[in-house]
Amino acid sequence: MRRTTWLVVLAALTVTGGAMTAPALSQSKVVKIGDLGSKVGVFEGYGKYQTMFMQMAVEELNAKGGVLGHKIEMISEDDETKPAPAVRKAEKLILQDDVKLLVGAVSSGATMAVMDVTKKHKTIHWNAVSCAEFMRTTKFHKYYFSNQPDSRMQANGLAKYIVDKMGKKVYIFYTDYAMGQSDGRQFKTALEKIGGEIVGVAGAPLDTKDFSPWFGAINQANPDVLFLAFAGTDSLRLMTQLHSFGMTKKYKLAGIDCFLLQQDLPAIAEPMEGFVQLAHYSAYNPDKQMAAFNERFKKKFGVDGNIMAGAYDGVLFWAAAAEKAKTFDADKVEAALEGMCVDNTHIGRQCIRKEDHQVVMDMHLYQVKGGKNLPIARLEGKDTIGSPMVGKDPVEGFTWEIKKKN
Amino acid sequence: MSVLGWRALLVFALLAALPLVPGMSRYYLLLAFDALLFGAIAMSLDLLMGYTGLVSFGHAAFYGLGAYATAILMERGVQSVWACVGFAVVVVGLYALVVSYFATARRGIYFALLTLIFAEVVYTFFRYTQTFGGSDGIQGLPDATVLPGLVIDTPTRKYYLVLAYLLIAYAICRVVVASHFGRVLVAIRENEDRARFLGYNVPRYKMGACMISALLTGVGGAIYPMRSAFATPDLMLWTESGEFIISVMIGGLGTLVGPIIGGAFFTILRDKVSSIVDWYFIVIGGVLIVIVLFMPRGLLGLRRIFSRRAAA
Repeated sequence: MRRTTWLVVLAALTVTGGAMTAPALSQSKVVKIGDLGSKVGVFEGYGKYQTMFMQMAVEELNAKGGVLGHKIEMISEDDETKPAPAVRKAEKLILQDDVKLLVGAVSSGATMAVMDVTKKHKTIHWNAVSCAEFMRTTKFHKYYFSNQPDSRMQANGLAKYIVDKMGKKVYIFYTDYAMGQSDGRQFKTALEKIGGEIVGVAGAPLDTKDFSPWFGAINQANPDVLFLAFAGTDSLRLMTQLHSFGMTKKYKLAGIDCFLLQQDLPAIAEPMEGFVQLAHYSAYNPDKQMAAFNERFKKKFGVDGNIMAGAYDGVLFWAAAAEKAKTFDADKVEAALEGMCVDNTHIGRQCIRKEDHQVVMDMHLYQVKGGKNLPIARLEGKDTIGSPMVGKDPVEGFTWEIKKKN
Repeated sequence: MSVLGWRALLVFALLAALPLVPGMSRYYLLLAFDALLFGAIAMSLDLLMGYTGLVSFGHAAFYGLGAYATAILMERGVQSVWACVGFAVVVVGLYALVVSYFATARRGIYFALLTLIFAEVVYTFFRYTQTFGGSDGIQGLPDATVLPGLVIDTPTRKYYLVLAYLLIAYAICRVVVASHFGRVLVAIRENEDRARFLGYNVPRYKMGACMISALLTGVGGAIYPMRSAFATPDLMLWTESGEFIISVMIGGLGTLVGPIIGGAFFTILRDKVSSIVDWYFIVIGGVLIVIVLFMPRGLLGLRRIFSRRAAA
């Protein structure tokens, strides 16, 4: 090969090596935390609000002197809603940026992949939105914490209301990946346990553009209630299409907490009218703590808050635990977090359950009226959280088989 | 030595010294792993694109199948690098045999479309088969072992694993392109009909090139879970195939070394730009447009500029 070719190779190596060895600027008395979420694509909204809520927590804590005398610096990365980029970025945040807390990712599949990274590199990992049931069961590790009500919690809280108030015959329509499958499974289990009847189930791929091929089967099953486990732009498209087929009037609608963010609702207020979901937060909840929190958020960003407020709490819990442990050492912070309670979260006092590191959250059932999520009932965290199942298979014995009732 | 030449060996020696560079972090070694792996796969694709004139939109399937082969074995407690790579060669080889048999019977866009369709079938199969984890894939894999007691558990060891793979893959590609077989591939690229009239069994040669390229890519895929601890259907998406093609174009078609540089450049550019802006693909797209318009021979084409200046 010609000499010049190798000159180019050597030049590329030099540039690459130079780029790789440029040391990160280190400042004294700074502690870094990582924000890993979808910044583009189907879950873009969740990732962007995660960043905003974390930023709000960081600024409030820094205004009070930071943590252990350190100013908090937040580094944001895009997980691209896929496991491979999420893992790459998690490694970057932990190994290169040396973050002491990692919040994310957004999609359940990406979060589970990132859990292997945080476990391997012993980093405190906070999940504020992913809800697959494996994270606090089979995938659980000691550095993982969550204040997102997972599929089991949501199903436990929502199924009873649906059977009592909306109808017993339910069709489950879910987005066919970790989150939707998990929501569908847990909801089917919870509903059948209390006497409801699943008349049909179907899954549509993530980022489906046209949902109409599934509508025939739904109409044929003729349910009382359509339970929808979708999120982000999938939900927007689905609701628009259901509405145009007259199905939002024909069936009662219910779904998961992250179906749509508050910001999306006004644009599709009519299709969403009457939609019921279980969530830990709404900007339109008259609860004093939530209202005050929303006011602070709105003052800062000019928009209402939403369920991504859990990311705010994640930073607060970690900071409180570091202060209690008097160190950023992950093992000591983890020990301090177990069983810890914090008073000033976005919904007031919350505590972490020691066994599976899940925050025991009081939640509300919400119904969309005029483009606003309004509370219709309050559920206590202890009634929805379920027993700890660390290491146990949460879907053991589960089957998608439809049990016909006479 | 005669296969690689002393300059290539010097570059590999420099690459081998990379972990010793002061300030080299564990993260940058993992990034280097990704860069070299991507480069090696782009080089494997170059054997098909650059030397045979066949554009494959389905290389992600070879890559993903290799990754799943490793993940399936590791999930069942087999951690040996050799067993995983061997299994990947068998799995990818069987699949490549079918794909190449049908695809190489067609030319141009039809070849590209057939490789894409086969890859989409494989992607859909893994995406919806719960036995292999469905959309979540197979996660939480243990560290691989080269020999009993020698575990690939640190970024440095992972880096040397991929460097060894690159070295072997490069040597194989060099031998292939320098051989009579390689020269026939170039003849097919230049004028397929004339090669046929000269008596060469063109489909057989194209199939051979496709198999070598697929197997090298599959082995690269088999190594990926040893670094990432998972295999997901996303690895088989057509966008992944597109990124391999982009890497070949960035580096320079038909050069072997160019695609290695292109793959590494693409990986590092993506990593750096995506940490700065959310719309990094626009930047990468812009770079690609500039390269295609003004540097049709890719980054390696810069050598011509250097040569001319040196001559002047």
